[in-house]
Amino acid sequence: MSEAESTPVEEPASEETESPEATPEVEQSTPIVSGLALEHGEGRYRLTLPPDLDWIDLWPQLQLYLVGQEHLWSETLPVDCACGQRLLDQSQLQQLAEALSEHQLRLDKIITERRQTAIAAATLGYSVQQGVLPPLLAKETDPDPEPTTNPLYLKTTLRSGMEIHHDASVIIVGDVNAGASIIAAGDIIVWGRLRGIAHAGAKGHLGARIMTLEMAATQLRIADLLARTPDPPNPPYPEVAYATDQGIQIAPAYTWGRALAVSKAP
Amino acid sequence: MGRTIVITSGKGGVGKTTASANIGVALAKLGRSVVLIDADFGLRNLDLLLGLENRVVYTAIDVLTGQCRLDQALVRDKRLNKLVLLPAAQSRNKDAITPEQMRQLASALSKHYDYVLIDCPAGIEAGFRNAIAPAQEALVVTTPEIAAVRDADRVIGLLEAYRIRNNHLILNRLRPAMVAANDMMSVEDVQEILSIPLIGIVPEDEKVIVSTNKGEPLVLAESPSLAGQAFMNIARRLEGEKVEFLDLEAVSGGLFSRIRRLFGAKG
Ligand SMILES: Nc1ncnc2c1ncn2[C@@H]1O[C@H](COP(=O)(O)OP(=O)(O)OP(=O)(O)O)[C@@H](O)[C@H]1O
Ligand SMILES: [Mg+2]
Repeated sequence: MSEAESTPVEEPASEETESPEATPEVEQSTPIVSGLALEHGEGRYRLTLPPDLDWIDLWPQLQLYLVGQEHLWSETLPVDCACGQRLLDQSQLQQLAEALSEHQLRLDKIITERRQTAIAAATLGYSVQQGVLPPLLAKETDPDPEPTTNPLYLKTTLRSGMEIHHDASVIIVGDVNAGASIIAAGDIIVWGRLRGIAHAGAKGHLGARIMTLEMAATQLRIADLLARTPDPPNPPYPEVAYATDQGIQIAPAYTWGRALAVSKAP
Repeated sequence: MGRTIVITSGKGGVGKTTASANIGVALAKLGRSVVLIDADFGLRNLDLLLGLENRVVYTAIDVLTGQCRLDQALVRDKRLNKLVLLPAAQSRNKDAITPEQMRQLASALSKHYDYVLIDCPAGIEAGFRNAIAPAQEALVVTTPEIAAVRDADRVIGLLEAYRIRNNHLILNRLRPAMVAANDMMSVEDVQEILSIPLIGIVPEDEKVIVSTNKGEPLVLAESPSLAGQAFMNIARRLEGEKVEFLDLEAVSGGLFSRIRRLFGAKG
């Protein structure tokens, strides 16, 4: 670690700072849309499916989402699935139930605004609630919703083509490979190697940080700042990227607390 | 119930069909019954590689549309009675078949064969989803190039999303001399990115092209070339045998001097 200690506290991150428009286009991707949510309330879970995604595209995302969450409960819990306007046939409902059961979740109730979905669900023996229903959490009916403050915790490798959008902080336990990207309104923490694109504070929050065990990102963004990372230290050590007046800076994790204190000093 | 394995890659032209044909024949040589499904609808060429083109009468589509029975569509290999091919239709487009239909075909076949191997088309669209639908495991083929590895990574992510989690890597067209000269990604470089277990390293081998043209898979040769041996070893590893990687495939430090000798012999 002596090698690491000799590294300056602040290291200019950007070899060149470009405008966001000049960045390479992200290839066709598999985004995790914010509309997908699994929320806890009164001894059960509610799974909300985003309305605007084809099943074929939704399916891999749901899997990814569930895989990342599987450690969060130990006993089997019932799940209400809020499908909204989405049409689901019997085989899709079965797939859904199967996927949930792999994660100790039991599909119990289908909440739908579509008659056909309700019939399919009833045929399979699920309880059905038709129409728009009282939300589990008050914010769901908020006409001008505050971004959710729940961080997204995923225990998985984000592979090329996967894209995560989340209205709060994102924590990945695993690697983020080149070609993957994370766009978070809050912080981004990668307990693994960060090789893809990370955009923290995506809604303009300059105080957002990107923290990772190995900072080898293709591109870092905080709010509207942009940087390309220099080659990661070898051997790698944890680093933190944060915004300053001079743009994005990267500091070793263990000195970053001090760096922050200094930069905040009057 | 036989094992249903899809051979896939994302990027095109990295050696899926070559691997399917050779691994299929190798497994048959080991005494296993094997059915190869060509899932590259519209662009079939597994029959060509196997030298069975002139024996194709019916295709998977004919089975699904009720034009023939499943067993009528299976093309038998005259050299190996343990191997059959279910050819893909050349004319129909990829939308002519659904994942559910692929599942039906594969599950019917897996009742009678030890291995159902599915040669997947390139890409991640409908044809890919059809090909992976029935699979419990996958062999992911890549070459040591950034673009191919990136696509392989993508495909592994999708496989996992479709709950195919028993996945192995085949690294094809490795050129040890280039790796030694730092001009090509090494086995470790690729593995470090993809982080799935390796089941085979196949060297670049011009015999592959000769064998393709003759319709005679490498593993059928009396004394198979290095690539042929590598495919044979993959089959044995699938069978659960612990097989050392070929010298060329060794990942150790002493590797490159030995490899240079091998290649040096060719001039
Ligand atoms: N180990 C190898 N050494 C030399 N040539 C090879 C090797 N493996 C494959 N090739 C050549 O690469 C070309 C593509 O191989 P193949 O058709 O098996 O790829 P594929 O992944 O099935 O392609 P597609 O995506 O079009 O289906 C062929 O010409 C083949 O002969
Ligand atoms: Mg092919």
